[in-house]
Amino acid sequence: MSEKFDVIVVGAGPSGNAAAYTAAKAGLSVLQIERGEYPGSKNVQGAILYANALEQIIPDFRDDAPLERHIIEQRMWVLDDESFVGTHFRSDDYNKPPYNRYTIIRAQFDKWFSSKVKEAGALVICETTVECLLMDGDQVVGVRCDRQGGEVFADVVILADGVNSTLARKAGFHGEIQAGNVALAVKEILFMPQETIEARFNVKDEEGVVIEMFGKITDGLMGTGFLYTNRDSITLGVGCMLSDFKQNPNRTSPYAMLEKMKAHPSIAPMIAGGEMKEYCAHLIPEGGFHAVPKVFGNGWMIVGDSGGFVNAVHREGSNLAMTTGRLAAETAIAAKAAGKGFAAKQLAGYKSALDESFVMKDLHKYRDMPSVFHDNSQFFTTYPELVNRAARTMLTVDGVDKKTKEKEIFSSFRKSRSLAGLAGDAFKLWRAFR
Amino acid sequence: MSTVVNVEEKLFQNRYKVDHGRPHIKIRQPELCRNECKVQSCTFVCPAACYKAEGNGAVTLITDGCLECGSCRIICTELSNVEWEYPRGGHGILFKFG
Repeated sequence: MSEKFDVIVVGAGPSGNAAAYTAAKAGLSVLQIERGEYPGSKNVQGAILYANALEQIIPDFRDDAPLERHIIEQRMWVLDDESFVGTHFRSDDYNKPPYNRYTIIRAQFDKWFSSKVKEAGALVICETTVECLLMDGDQVVGVRCDRQGGEVFADVVILADGVNSTLARKAGFHGEIQAGNVALAVKEILFMPQETIEARFNVKDEEGVVIEMFGKITDGLMGTGFLYTNRDSITLGVGCMLSDFKQNPNRTSPYAMLEKMKAHPSIAPMIAGGEMKEYCAHLIPEGGFHAVPKVFGNGWMIVGDSGGFVNAVHREGSNLAMTTGRLAAETAIAAKAAGKGFAAKQLAGYKSALDESFVMKDLHKYRDMPSVFHDNSQFFTTYPELVNRAARTMLTVDGVDKKTKEKEIFSSFRKSRSLAGLAGDAFKLWRAFR
Repeated sequence: MSTVVNVEEKLFQNRYKVDHGRPHIKIRQPELCRNECKVQSCTFVCPAACYKAEGNGAVTLITDGCLECGSCRIICTELSNVEWEYPRGGHGILFKFG
């Protein structure tokens, strides 16, 4: 393999596939290298697919992409140990095609996406780990793989190698990931008959429900839980900031947290009888705007999780991944057409395109959110309990008059958080969200 | 949370192609774990329980069940005692669903 390509893409997740597809479709010679047995075999996601980002790349993806259910109902639950307080939003608008979002099973979806990449003309090699970037001075000129004679060359290398961002770290483009900038999530997939899911979640055909949860399920750590309905399975998971896991005096393991969540009286009935067929763990880059590293240089660009492109507040990642992959490929296409080489200056258009897109605009909007939640664990401990206690007090009919109940609730809030604390928390949230 | 959870039962559902004799993660200096690290957070943070706290204060590592998340490397900030690479191409965890 001493061939030279226009573009080498490392990794076959959503960002890598978007990049390889876009570049190959435009006629560039593309080599994509994936370490898994097949594309998807190393990849983990919840998983929700937001249609828009993929539509911009493959407009008719709905014709043959493996989609599970389109989401018609979004639930948000705040839990304590026995109860939850929640909001549900369900709309028949979400039942009108083209649908806005779907649950997907990543191993299947990535395999499908990869078939499109091959159709577009890219050469896809699996079961091959890229060990490092090849440099000529400060210009990236290719990669070295763990195969005999595994040096391959290209004008541009697009790093879609996932959250650990191994290659850019080894090359010194950025330092080690901070534990406070990534969440560790674990999940299980639980299989059950389609009819059971439809009865339990009040849906039919291909309709689906998403439940996002926070509160006592995370043992006081900053994190969230989720439940997604697939066609004949449920994905259930929980994730917390890695730094919180590390510092937790209870030394709770991620799988113990997941088991406790599964046993919660509001969750257990929904998953009862489910046959667990896989247990996954994965890091999610949640550092947001301030944690995005330098994303381009001489002969290289970083896309997807490898660049920290995740909007943790809105649980969006794969759409940012696909968009960054597409924009990097478009930059490579433009640089090739311009014929002025592939130094950083010629790839700077990638950063401007990111800044112009929803990717950096959204990350910028929520730039302070990670630190607000990080320094204020009451949002994950005190408030969920207070809110649930308030609901229980108000809704339990026991002969106590409502005015007295109101007083009791108010004093329970003041006992746990001072008035200034309450006002301060509201202000912090408002400032971070605005 | 003191519930004892058997993670092996979970990992048993997963598919792996173990690269026998070539672990992709190594503890650089085992004596550092024993003598310098009080928290040994890898022993409870690792989602596959690859790291075990032994009775004598040592930490042992068996990577067969590794889910390749990278947590152990990142949390070992003070001592940087985890040498972490991806497995060779085609080896390690093979997610059926992901």
